Amino acid sequence: MFKEDFDVTIIGGGAAGLSAAAATAAAGLKTAVIDREEYPGGILLQCIHNGFGLHRYKTELTGPEYAEKVFLEAQKAGCTFFPSSTVTAIGKMTDGKRLVTAYSVRHGVMELNSSAVILAMGCRERNRGNIATPGSRPAGIFTAGLAQRLLNVDGCLPGKTAVIIGSGDIGLIMARRLSWVGITVKAVIEIQPYPSGLPRNIAQCLEDFDIPLFLGHSVVRIDGNDRVSGVQVAPLTDGQPDLNKAFAIGCDTVLLSVGLVPENELSRQVGIQLDPATNGPIVDHNHMTGEPGIFACGNVLHVHDLVDYVSEESDACGNAVINYLRNRNTPAQGKIIAGTYLRYVTPCSFAPGQRNLYYMRAQTVMDKADLIGAVDGREVFRQRLHQVKPAEMIRIELPPEALAGNPGKTLELSLHPETVR
Amino acid sequence: MKHKMTCICCPMGCELNIDDTDPEHPAVSGNRCPRGAAYGREEMLDPKRTVTAVVHSNSGSVPYIPVRTDKPLAKALIPELLQQLYLKDVQVPVKNGDVLLANYRGTGINVIFTRTINQ
Repeated sequence: MFKEDFDVTIIGGGAAGLSAAAATAAAGLKTAVIDREEYPGGILLQCIHNGFGLHRYKTELTGPEYAEKVFLEAQKAGCTFFPSSTVTAIGKMTDGKRLVTAYSVRHGVMELNSSAVILAMGCRERNRGNIATPGSRPAGIFTAGLAQRLLNVDGCLPGKTAVIIGSGDIGLIMARRLSWVGITVKAVIEIQPYPSGLPRNIAQCLEDFDIPLFLGHSVVRIDGNDRVSGVQVAPLTDGQPDLNKAFAIGCDTVLLSVGLVPENELSRQVGIQLDPATNGPIVDHNHMTGEPGIFACGNVLHVHDLVDYVSEESDACGNAVINYLRNRNTPAQGKIIAGTYLRYVTPCSFAPGQRNLYYMRAQTVMDKADLIGAVDGREVFRQRLHQVKPAEMIRIELPPEALAGNPGKTLELSLHPETVR
Repeated sequence: MKHKMTCICCPMGCELNIDDTDPEHPAVSGNRCPRGAAYGREEMLDPKRTVTAVVHSNSGSVPYIPVRTDKPLAKALIPELLQQLYLKDVQVPVKNGDVLLANYRGTGINVIFTRTINQ
């Protein structure tokens, strides 16, 4: 059996895993990245559209270009990449080290003995079962990301006329992609009263092609025998679809862009505690989960909307792992919790003397809001935010003085809207 | 005629109102900064988009290779460019940044590969 010792084993070779690997390997730590696909880059490889890297590389890249850049960084730093390998278990050794077991096309069963493990498995798409759409079960129903893979990697057209359920960014990007390959997109149906994708994607992916967007509508039935023949769409009244006003849209393909869920089967297997608000592990300011030596970053921790922030978070995670292995980690000084109008905040603790970078998501749309940090009801931090949307992650760096001198205290971050829409 | 569009220069997403009674000089309102006015004018006079696609290759492992224009291309030229790209059959190896189509229709815009495929 293939066995090797590593300082750090990273599970997942997408943006998160590769960014973290670049950091740990550059610090001289022997680093392995395990990925189930043949090529590094994760989901970036099928995201052939542009719009990536504006923060991290100060230029506009496509997904494959971003993937290549970050992979070269990890490779130059000296990390070992194990492609076509699926991790099946993370065990604990008597000396506290972790044993990562994987099945690899090249090596068969492999065991990597590691001082630290970084979870970077990313997320996967919610599907028809998750949104419980009634109707028959014909061919022609895809998640948006699966259709993206069929088109951009396998070169197959998923259908001829499509309706897209959900206005998430992947669905919007696919609306343009389908239009560009000659597939007619009849409509995008969004259950919320506001779009869940970025305004720029609404403009360039829907308005450019005159694709109607039905806000506050829901698909109440999918019809078809062997193949999808159409969908029934109804407007929502008081949160319920009004079936009297339902109308039909004919199509042979339905794409679902209805959200992403962090992929945490391995985390659960190890007994790592998850946050019900993010579906990702609860991590401290060092990005360490409840299990000593196991860290998490990227979409497995919480779903991001920009890959640049995935890389930023993963850099921070990699640096925390370096400190952990050199016994230089600072213990948590206090907890951080999400207050009013915030769905979550991650990481969930703070410590003096390090960068206090937090990511959070709002519960609703607000034109203007103050983000307030309070300890025992005493305000220690305030920042004005504009155009707050659940679709756009909020990124805040807290100044050290906001957190100094509050040992054992809980800092509550909350949003205080000027007006709620 | 009056047009409505959402400015995409920043997350504010201003609702622009554009009056092109004078087609040479469309009047933009609703913008909160000069970038919005410039965006609205360009969208009326000469809208451009970066085009991305995949082209077929003889690679055994990656049969479709992603490409893009190296600058935004006039919207009116996009359908014909796509038709040309779909007919391509390229030989590997190719390198990220290599030019597939140079100076498309004299625009100075190239179509480049966005992924390195060795075999």
